[in-house]
Amino acid sequence: MRKALLAFLYFLAAAAALAFLALPILAIFVHVPPGRLIDQLSNPVVTDALIVSFKTTLIAQALILLFGTPTAYLLASRRFPGRSLCVTLVELPLVLPPAVAGIGLLAAFGRAGLLGSSLSAAGITIPFTQTAVTIAVAFVASPLYIRQAIAAFEAIDPNLVAASRTLGAGPARTFFRVILPLSRGGLAAGEALAFARGLGEFGATIMFAGSLQKVTQTLPLAIYAEFEVNFDVTLAISALLVLISAAVLISLKLTSLWQPSEQISPSRFARLSWS
Amino acid sequence: MEFVSQRRIAHRGAVVLAALCACLCSLLAAGGAAARDDTHTSTRVTGITVYAASSLTDVFPKIDSGPKYSFGASSTLAAQITQGAPADVFASANTTIPAQLFAKQLVQKPVVFTRNRLVLVVPTSNPAGIRSVYDLKKSGVKLVIAAPAVPVGSYTLQVLKQMGLTSVLSNVVSRESDVRSVLSKVALGEADAGFVYSTDARTVPGKVRVFKIPAWAQPKVTYALAVVSASGNKAAAQRFIKEVLSKAGQKKMIAAGFLPFPKAKSGR
Repeated sequence: MRKALLAFLYFLAAAAALAFLALPILAIFVHVPPGRLIDQLSNPVVTDALIVSFKTTLIAQALILLFGTPTAYLLASRRFPGRSLCVTLVELPLVLPPAVAGIGLLAAFGRAGLLGSSLSAAGITIPFTQTAVTIAVAFVASPLYIRQAIAAFEAIDPNLVAASRTLGAGPARTFFRVILPLSRGGLAAGEALAFARGLGEFGATIMFAGSLQKVTQTLPLAIYAEFEVNFDVTLAISALLVLISAAVLISLKLTSLWQPSEQISPSRFARLSWS
Repeated sequence: MEFVSQRRIAHRGAVVLAALCACLCSLLAAGGAAARDDTHTSTRVTGITVYAASSLTDVFPKIDSGPKYSFGASSTLAAQITQGAPADVFASANTTIPAQLFAKQLVQKPVVFTRNRLVLVVPTSNPAGIRSVYDLKKSGVKLVIAAPAVPVGSYTLQVLKQMGLTSVLSNVVSRESDVRSVLSKVALGEADAGFVYSTDARTVPGKVRVFKIPAWAQPKVTYALAVVSASGNKAAAQRFIKEVLSKAGQKKMIAAGFLPFPKAKSGR
């Protein structure tokens, strides 16, 4: 009797959680007939926001991969004094409220900022530019990638790395031919999270870069601006963002980047999940 | 390096966390005590929520510290009320938005309660060397205004049209979501100039320089408020509105820099 009750509660809790997560997403699509969604896609507000969002997110992700991967590898493979401080620093933007991140970026890169004042003396101003959006996106999204990358690098069997070195491969060759392929599942998972977080960034962007159509108005900023003007456009942009996020998630799952984690996890259900 | 056991580390972590919580609690208590000392002779209507324009952030709690306040752009608040937000009173920085809500029967008949003035503000350091509204035509000036749906944004567009300065809009670097965001960007020195209400400029003395807009170009900035139709406490909401319209309430508004409004005639 008690076992049945517990089993019932267990499935009830899971069902409630799944319904709670699915409902808002389904509600967006129920509200917008597909014809209207396609119609709104020709709205210049939507197309401009799409272009700004994609340009800034892609450049930010490239920077995150370029700088984040070596950082993660350093933190994963070496132990040095101050390492835990570095790890905490890298994870800090994750727990920082986005508005605080925006204020911090202003305080650092604004006209009167720590670095910004010297930059503006050299004629470079960052706030209110598309560069500011890219910086804001990179700032809030990088911890998601770096944390996952550190975990992925730490999960690599050091014997494999040692074997590669003893067989004559230099550190660079070992990194690109052994370490990266072994950790690609975790790296791709981290990048998916960072991409999604970057695409949805709002608070830091609006504080640091402001909001101007065609220049700094990303998709989330366009939602906020259109909310009080045209709720239909708001719903259309929201539906668009849901579809883009789902597409990114699904395509990353389908590519061979996913490592079958049965190689790593002994659980019999661990098939095509992230390692 | 000596080996520190896991238990010692966990213990240290717990001590740090406890210390942080203690600091936070004492800060909140001190802040709470300070706030409680601040009740002068202000009356208190409790149990209602007032949705009011951002420019009323400082003056409304002075008139009555009782209600729960939610300040924001009048257009954002109106959209929230349309979506069912639990407001009892809605106070807008223009008469158009309450009229739209009244037409949709979301609020009762709006009442004018004050007026305001639009001004141009620049940071005290005045990086772009602005000396009047006409200087906004200089190339490279970083002008920040509110989005057109926000009352102050539409007033700004009216002023620029009146003064024949719509070309200045090409210098706009950001359309902010409410008037206080415009003020912040200017006060922080990030923007070269912005249009806000004169009452907002007074809240940041020493951070901005104010330039008046010629009287012939001033738009009619009229604020109106109304009881929200879905309010569960209309009597208290009416009491609040009476307070704002009363002699004492109006005195506080004038003291904050708002303008008196002409007494209501028929056919408002």
